[in-house]
Amino acid sequence: MYTQIGIIAAVMVLAYVAAKAAKASVEASMLAAAVAGGLAGAFVNTPPAAELARHLVEGAFTYLDVILVFSTATIFMAIVSESGGINYVVRGTIKSFYNLRLIALLLLMIIILIPGALTGAGSVSLLVVGAPVAMALSYLGIPARKVAAILFIVAGLSAAAPPVNIWAMILSAGTAIPYVGFELPLGIPVLVLGTFTVLFLGWKKEGTGDKESALEDMPKTPAGMNWWRVLLPFLVFFGMVAAYRLWPFSTPILGLPLQFVIAGLVAWLVSPTKINILTLSRNTIQRLLPLLATMIVVGMLQQIMTTTGIRGLISFAVISTPLILLFFSLAVIIPVSEGVLTYGGAAIIGIPLVWFLDSIGLHATVAIAGLSLLWPLGDGLPPTALIGRLSVMVSEYKGTYWTFLRSTWVPWVVITIVGILMVVFSAKLDFLVKWSM
Amino acid sequence: MKKERNIRIVLIVVMALVLIQAGIQLFQHRHYQIPLVAGPGVTKVTNLSDYCEGLKGTQADTLVFFMEGKEPGGKLLIIANTHSNEPAALLTALIFLENAVVEKGTLIIIPQFNHSGSRHTRPGDGYPLYFEIPTSWGSKQFRMGNRDASPLDQWPDPDVYIHYPDRQLLSFLDIRNTNRTWPGRANGALMEKVTFAAMEIMRNEGVDLAVDIHGAETMFPVTNCIVAPEKSMRIATMTSLTLQAREGFDNHVEPSPKGFRGLSHREIGDYSETLPFLLEAPLPFLDQPTGPKTTALLLDGKDPFLLKLSQKKKLFVPYDENGWPMDNRVGQHCSAVLELLQQYSRKNPERAIQVLQVPRYAEVIEKGVGYYYHDPAQTEKKNVYFN
Repeated sequence: MYTQIGIIAAVMVLAYVAAKAAKASVEASMLAAAVAGGLAGAFVNTPPAAELARHLVEGAFTYLDVILVFSTATIFMAIVSESGGINYVVRGTIKSFYNLRLIALLLLMIIILIPGALTGAGSVSLLVVGAPVAMALSYLGIPARKVAAILFIVAGLSAAAPPVNIWAMILSAGTAIPYVGFELPLGIPVLVLGTFTVLFLGWKKEGTGDKESALEDMPKTPAGMNWWRVLLPFLVFFGMVAAYRLWPFSTPILGLPLQFVIAGLVAWLVSPTKINILTLSRNTIQRLLPLLATMIVVGMLQQIMTTTGIRGLISFAVISTPLILLFFSLAVIIPVSEGVLTYGGAAIIGIPLVWFLDSIGLHATVAIAGLSLLWPLGDGLPPTALIGRLSVMVSEYKGTYWTFLRSTWVPWVVITIVGILMVVFSAKLDFLVKWSM
Repeated sequence: MKKERNIRIVLIVVMALVLIQAGIQLFQHRHYQIPLVAGPGVTKVTNLSDYCEGLKGTQADTLVFFMEGKEPGGKLLIIANTHSNEPAALLTALIFLENAVVEKGTLIIIPQFNHSGSRHTRPGDGYPLYFEIPTSWGSKQFRMGNRDASPLDQWPDPDVYIHYPDRQLLSFLDIRNTNRTWPGRANGALMEKVTFAAMEIMRNEGVDLAVDIHGAETMFPVTNCIVAPEKSMRIATMTSLTLQAREGFDNHVEPSPKGFRGLSHREIGDYSETLPFLLEAPLPFLDQPTGPKTTALLLDGKDPFLLKLSQKKKLFVPYDENGWPMDNRVGQHCSAVLELLQQYSRKNPERAIQVLQVPRYAEVIEKGVGYYYHDPAQTEKKNVYFN
């Protein structure tokens, strides 16, 4: 079995390398790997050849919901941006807080944390508030590379923040541990690490600009734009999110995609400038296409890796690792699993891992909280690199992806250390869970 | 330029062919009907929608079989395929449905509780679409379903699922999981209606015991067990001890946690007079560290990775090169249900439930699960139901 799975994995790697050598895109190369892995597996009936097409198509639908959220949220923000709303917000922030750097940075951090904390998706944070925050940070004299780094780390932390943490929810559901008592074990490290990140990367002002020249350089806002026009679409969106939280049994379930569509329509209606919504939507989707393609192909890869046994072999290797080595290797295993499988990593590696940690006397809730800090880091790693790519996109950073990623290394290491220590000392930190209840 | 165009055309044609082939297979799976043979004990067949109007005409509606005894007594509800990727539940329910003769009391069986989930696949997890059980008259084919209801039947999901009525926050996916939506509500999401309808059966029919049958990973601590709340604990414990002593297999008792909402073993007890029990048998197919997800793994439960992990003491059940065959799992469930009945009847003779012709653990292993299924082609049409 080991040899069989090893050969199929090698075929997938070779197909990926060959496709890249032929100058195919990352997405096309991953597709080549998935198809090659499926064909290699079909030789030994894993999967049966007659079912290969079905596995590829079924896998392609794994992240359909995420794709819909990305598409609708990005169109919503594109409308807000086109209406001049983003420029208006940034101008206002710079005007009020330019000389109060600490407050400005903390305020911008909180703005990024809120949407992700409410929805469990750092991508929503970036799609909804990423662009205006990026612009505000750049006018505070932070270079685009560091802006992208701040957005990436804080958006990742927003996904880990309570009340909604999807990794913790998947792990709780899979390990029969109630999703309760996470407020402090997640909330405290998220706020501390977020503050550290914005101060470490953003405290130093680079460049010689001052408030007046920043305001002079900034794009002008269209006539008629005011705070109500900017805020109304966001109030509608967060109003819908909050309504379900407050009155869950009488509020219809709209789902995030429809909520973004409604908020987008409101933004379009209150825009002081005329917007061709169809052209804007078409252009936005074109811009998003590589990201959407990645999500589709990752689903296919995940399905082929499962049906051929590669996924099981990876999970087996993790569970078999000796304890001390396992603690150290969490720094790599957890982010890489997220980079390859996104939330699938929590199910494949996280669930058996938590059962194992629980069985040796560690506190499962705190351990899950600790692991939850590590997973978002993987959203900057290929092949998916969802949050990383979105951070680069909304901050309009023009350098290479790796240059951006390198600039995140200090917060990355600090978060990793905190996350692993929370797992190792989870039994001693159980008071955080008790205080949360 | 022309070469590039030709490549594009070829790719589009290939993609169309892949989509068509996959589409046909997925369509056939969603519409595949499993013939259910109603045995000599069946006296009435209704629909779940008879207990909740909102289920009428939806894929969540499902068949409910009543087996009323010659003498009055207590009532038992068997719920199978709450999670349609745990098929030992359905196979156990069908053994009761096709063979049981009820002497005293009433047996109520819902073989495909999450009917929508049974017609859904699990994207990303590479499940087979079907599995087959060998019988003396050929193979009986079953759909392999998913843990959650199909988004074709219940969509969209909220960003977070808020459990009714306790307001506990649960993963957004769990709003389609019929073991997180208990006790349900008549005007809620479709799967809340499913559990509400089952609660109505229990409340209206005066059901004494409800058994929800499942399968769980070998790496999951809550496996090979009976999960019971405080009010069911005594009967569960007696059942567990008796099974261990008389039939030689472990089926320990796990207490139902009070703080984890939406589960059958918690909410049924809290919102009705019924005593709930949840049965778990090991299901290696669901474990993450396994080889390819094949029908062989599903049926025999043999896996080299799990064997290695067992040697490293990382599993919660005994595991050797024989795996965990389906016959063992189904046999275990049959014995556990029969023993629960026996223990309950002994304590409550005026509400006794007596069921005959259902095999126990050793017998199922000896003859195989398929031995107990009847050929639908040779059965009177009025006794064959499709679900």
